[in-house]
Amino acid sequence: MAELRNVIIVTIGGARYAVELRWVREVVSLGFVTNVPTAPAALGGVCNLHGAILPVLDVGVLLAGVAARPARQGDSALVVEVDAVVCALRVDQVDHVASLPESRGEVMDAAGRPLVLLDPGRLIRRALELVTADAERVA
Amino acid sequence: MTDSELDFDPEELAMLRQLFRSEAQDALEAVTELVLAAGSARPSREALTEMMRATHTMKGAAGTVGLPVMVDLAHRLENAFAAFGRDPALWTAGTADQLVEVIDTLRGFLDAMTAPGGETQTTGAGDTLRAAIEQLRHPPAADPAATGDATAAGRAHPRAESVSDAVPRPTDAAETVRGVAPAPAEPPPAATADAAPEPASDAPSDAMLVEPKAWLRVEPERVDEVMSSAGELLFDRTRIERRVQLLRTLARDLARTRQTLHDSIADDAAMPAALRNTLLDAEGELAGQAALLSQTTAALLDEIEALRRTIGELQRGLTRIRMESARNLMLHAARTLRALRRATGVKVELRTSGEDTEFDKAVAEQLVDPITQLLRNSVAHGIEPPEERVARGKPAVATIAIRARQDGNSLVLEVSDDGRGIDTAALTRRLVATGRWTTARARLADDADVLEALLDTGVSTRGEADELAGRGVGIGLVRQTVAKLGGEVKIASAAGKGTAFTLRLPLSTALAQAMLFKVDGQVYAVSSVNVPDTTFVDAGATVATVRNDTLPVVRLEQLLGHGAATERRPAIVVTFAGKSLVCTADKIIGAREIVIKPLGPLLAPLTLYAGATISGSGKIQLILDPAQLVRRAYPDGPAALTGPSSAPMMLAGRALVVDDSRAIREAMTSMLGSEGWIVDVAEDGARALQMARHQRYDLVVTDLEMPVLGGFELIARLRGDDRLAATPVVVITSRASPEHRRRARELGVRALVAKPITRRKLLAALAAR
Repeated sequence: MAELRNVIIVTIGGARYAVELRWVREVVSLGFVTNVPTAPAALGGVCNLHGAILPVLDVGVLLAGVAARPARQGDSALVVEVDAVVCALRVDQVDHVASLPESRGEVMDAAGRPLVLLDPGRLIRRALELVTADAERVA
Repeated sequence: MTDSELDFDPEELAMLRQLFRSEAQDALEAVTELVLAAGSARPSREALTEMMRATHTMKGAAGTVGLPVMVDLAHRLENAFAAFGRDPALWTAGTADQLVEVIDTLRGFLDAMTAPGGETQTTGAGDTLRAAIEQLRHPPAADPAATGDATAAGRAHPRAESVSDAVPRPTDAAETVRGVAPAPAEPPPAATADAAPEPASDAPSDAMLVEPKAWLRVEPERVDEVMSSAGELLFDRTRIERRVQLLRTLARDLARTRQTLHDSIADDAAMPAALRNTLLDAEGELAGQAALLSQTTAALLDEIEALRRTIGELQRGLTRIRMESARNLMLHAARTLRALRRATGVKVELRTSGEDTEFDKAVAEQLVDPITQLLRNSVAHGIEPPEERVARGKPAVATIAIRARQDGNSLVLEVSDDGRGIDTAALTRRLVATGRWTTARARLADDADVLEALLDTGVSTRGEADELAGRGVGIGLVRQTVAKLGGEVKIASAAGKGTAFTLRLPLSTALAQAMLFKVDGQVYAVSSVNVPDTTFVDAGATVATVRNDTLPVVRLEQLLGHGAATERRPAIVVTFAGKSLVCTADKIIGAREIVIKPLGPLLAPLTLYAGATISGSGKIQLILDPAQLVRRAYPDGPAALTGPSSAPMMLAGRALVVDDSRAIREAMTSMLGSEGWIVDVAEDGARALQMARHQRYDLVVTDLEMPVLGGFELIARLRGDDRLAATPVVVITSRASPEHRRRARELGVRALVAKPITRRKLLAALAAR
């Protein structure tokens, strides 16, 4: 019997993904997005979240190296927190919350379709690598 | 004058009087100190002027808070000081003591007067005080007869002893205030001490006897300037500390070298005795010098630690200068509530606590609007009509409470009412109706989510006329303002019981003056400390002349935006570490006070930015690091420019430079040396390997083609030796072919730098991972 995961299902670039709820601090509609000119494409900008600086990650770039349209005000995003790093994952749509069985990095939705389970920790590490590499290239 | 004639509600009046009391106590204490400072001599003209000023201010304030007796007493005191100024003969040997005693009594009287209901109970004491003040100008020694008469008059004055007889005499007070010459020899000082309801509790302490307290008014900008310098000091300390750490390493290395020398001498049996003695002497000297270096370094580290503590104290002291109590804020709230009550007829009273809580003046000023907003919301929407309240078993008059307290490094302000609470179901319907939430989202949301949404600006801006629209108005602004100050807002509500907003703010904020400007549609900031001037730059110019200096131009529209500008542009002059440059902008907004926010771990590697700030409308604005701008303008600039805020770079340590060209060895030594490295040199791979086995190196920089042992062979040998395998290696070569690069990669070379070597290339290689 596969283990059940409490996930939130989102749509990014036409594909559906699941993110475990334990990483998700809140679901927000982004405020004004400030572009960070020297940052790599994986970093879609920064936003004001309750007075703190919230980096917005472009999941499309991180997963497939394909840049989606830039994040902008009103976009939906999951605010995730992993190891004290807080950032937003911009998504096209937040679908619903569900408890689904997991097997090998995927969960089955109610219709039996497999959904990739996104690992925010890995996305953040990847983003950090890209930002660091970029910073060194610029320096 | 009764309370009803005043422009205040009872609780506000009570609060104002408390405020007046503390102000007046301070003023009277200041007067006492001035008197005591003069000893038995007459206080200087300046001191008397100051005393008059203090009592004059007190007079004005007393009138405002409806205490005519205090107005009269202050007026008389002021006149007495004026008289001493005019006629030095009035000040006799006993006057100082007499005056201090009168003021002590007055201070006790003030406390009793401003206590609840105190005004009507203290009139008799007021009369005796009035007499005592008048008596000051009639020194007993100079005119014993007058004293005698006055004492008799005092006994004939029943009001002085009888509280029940005490009736306010408004006409009397009014007349004297108008400045008519006071009647001479009014009732006597004899009963003064007894008649005062409470003797002054705080007699002058030793500390008060020393020096009169002088107040200093300083423009806040000046404090900020000093604050900013203190910040710079911290930065300098870090740099010094790094250098000293290096010195310590050097001292350890020196000790090790000495040991090696010692061992070599001991091992070499064939050494001639004369040479042995010379070497042993030299070794002994070396030992002494190494020990001294080590001691000095340790002492330096201690001193840096002391410096750190002092800087900390300096910053704390400066922070205290900026502090103010919550009292003014509470007073403002009382005034606002009074106006609201008048406008709406809502029956509500204000309760406050924690007035003495101190926080940053800048924070306090920013909080006025949010507090006003919260009061407005409570009165307009939170509080039920009296009949409804009574029906629910609540007191007919509602209460709004403001509590301030300090919690660690935060200031907590709580604004709560005992009204109906927030109807979360209705608010949810509103969120869905305005399209802000989907029905699915609404189903998932709990009460906390709904209340959280209330704090979002979105709900309020769509307000139509319904039960919730008004409720949201401005609440979003509360969150924005508080967020801008680096704080947060929490909201709690219980149906039928009330609503509480909790504002948590930093006690002091990282405030800085910054120059704001626009580039490619976004606003950026640079600390004002680093922006001495603004100017204009012509299209296409790469240098600009500012005050006879020719400065390099950094085109921010290229660095931060898209494309080159063709027209003349405004620009800011940026100065850092003695270097200046000019940065172009689309538009210069001007200097503003900003709150500096850290960028967080994800953005920290982007060294161009020193932080960020949040604009009044909640947008994030990036702060540019002047050190990085200077680096861009002076790519081959001195090492001082690559301070702690520069790119993540190898920490300086001991480096070995291997090259058969002496010129290159010298050049590399100079470049690395200016980055803080200790540099050894070798002319070929064989020598380098030998040296590396005796001395640990943090970095090896090697040429490829050298006699005896080439660069790749050297690296291979290093990698083959367990102790040396991990040594970072940078290759410098004139043959950077793909084949060379492949081989370098295989050998785990950190970076390959093509000749000719520039400082910039070398720094990039050191920064590479």
